[in-house]
Amino acid sequence: MMKAAIDPVTLATPFFILSVILEIVLARMGKADARYETKDTAVSLGMGLISSVAGLLTAGAVFAATLWVYEHRLFTIPMTAIWAWVAIFLLEDLTYYVFHRVSHERRFWWAAHVNHHSSQHYNLSTALRQTWTGGVAGTWALWLPLAFLGFPPAMIAIQKGVSLVYQYWIHTEAIKKTPRWFEAVFNTPSHHRVHHARNAIYLDRNYAGILIVWDRMFGTFQPELDAEPCRYGLVKNVATFNILRVVFHEWIGIVQDVVRNPRHALGYIFGPPGWSHDGSRETSTMIKARVGAEPAKAAAEDAREAA
Amino acid sequence: MNEAFFVQLALSAAAVGVLVAIAAWAKIAKPAGPLDDYKARGLFEYEFPGRKLDAVWVASDGAGALAKSGGLALVICQVGDGFAARQIPWAQAISASFKNGKLCVDLADIAAPRATLSLPSWPPKNLTKDLAA
Repeated sequence: MMKAAIDPVTLATPFFILSVILEIVLARMGKADARYETKDTAVSLGMGLISSVAGLLTAGAVFAATLWVYEHRLFTIPMTAIWAWVAIFLLEDLTYYVFHRVSHERRFWWAAHVNHHSSQHYNLSTALRQTWTGGVAGTWALWLPLAFLGFPPAMIAIQKGVSLVYQYWIHTEAIKKTPRWFEAVFNTPSHHRVHHARNAIYLDRNYAGILIVWDRMFGTFQPELDAEPCRYGLVKNVATFNILRVVFHEWIGIVQDVVRNPRHALGYIFGPPGWSHDGSRETSTMIKARVGAEPAKAAAEDAREAA
Repeated sequence: MNEAFFVQLALSAAAVGVLVAIAAWAKIAKPAGPLDDYKARGLFEYEFPGRKLDAVWVASDGAGALAKSGGLALVICQVGDGFAARQIPWAQAISASFKNGKLCVDLADIAAPRATLSLPSWPPKNLTKDLAA
């Protein structure tokens, strides 16, 4: 969005670097469960590096829009009040849930988000596999209501940074399960492994940023099951390490589909990923239905595990 | 963008180089061995559940496989220590270029442009009239 006086992501960068080294070294020593493939790691880290530059291209417009909305705010919320930080923590996290769900369930926004899921690995470098086209996709607009409510833009930017930094450490197989109370309330490595898995039962689940309670409330929660080890990546995995193909393939796919089928343009742009006018492809819902991994079954698995 | 930004970017780029080098040194990729007929059929079953396989050809180096399933060719190719799968019309697979023991299949997908499989011959010599159709 914009640079605040305190940028949690910049502050955390040395921690990102040291923790990746630690995960690799511990895995090498056989002390941690982590897999790294050289080209995959290069793509993940390269995407993270360039995403910070790509974000600057739209930063001005995002900043101007946020400032304009803030100037027309309903209330003036003080940055120094503790209640204000509690409120923005909850509201920003709810906004993140909405953003993340839209980014998975509508192809236009999936095109910007898909590359974060394009690795067949799940390690700390995967967390840094960030989008280059998020600004163009316009999902930043989902945070504008916070400015309209009266949260200062700097406060919103700081909380967004906190959320991003929180979500870094959960991209690991090295941590199996955290204490039950923590798993119940917070997004954890286990919950987020499910989110990155391509197994039918795990598709489009666990959209949480920091609090997993949103998924529990809105029916998108799925626990990690011992009987169903996570297979990471996409339903149709990317078969190249060409970073440009990884970043832009879904956008190009949308353009190709619209050019070939202009009468069905809206479906190909705003339909769920995998939608096709002739039913020749499969959406997540269709895949789940085909293999019998519908929400009812997921809920039953959830209940069984909770018991 | 000021000078500090470019210094930070340059340092981050250097850090990326160091991390990739450490990942290469560690040799901790997934221990998936080369495909054989059994593994390939398992992978086809996972990627294309319920599809009947008329015939399967596994690359001699185990880095991929191709199967005929009715009018479709199912293709699995190695990507790093993982695999990617696509389906294309069988006619497209049959007409794929074969040179120096390498079959180069155009997968017609921006995210999976082509698959290269090491095979003794193509079209395969054991391709019966029924299968060739």
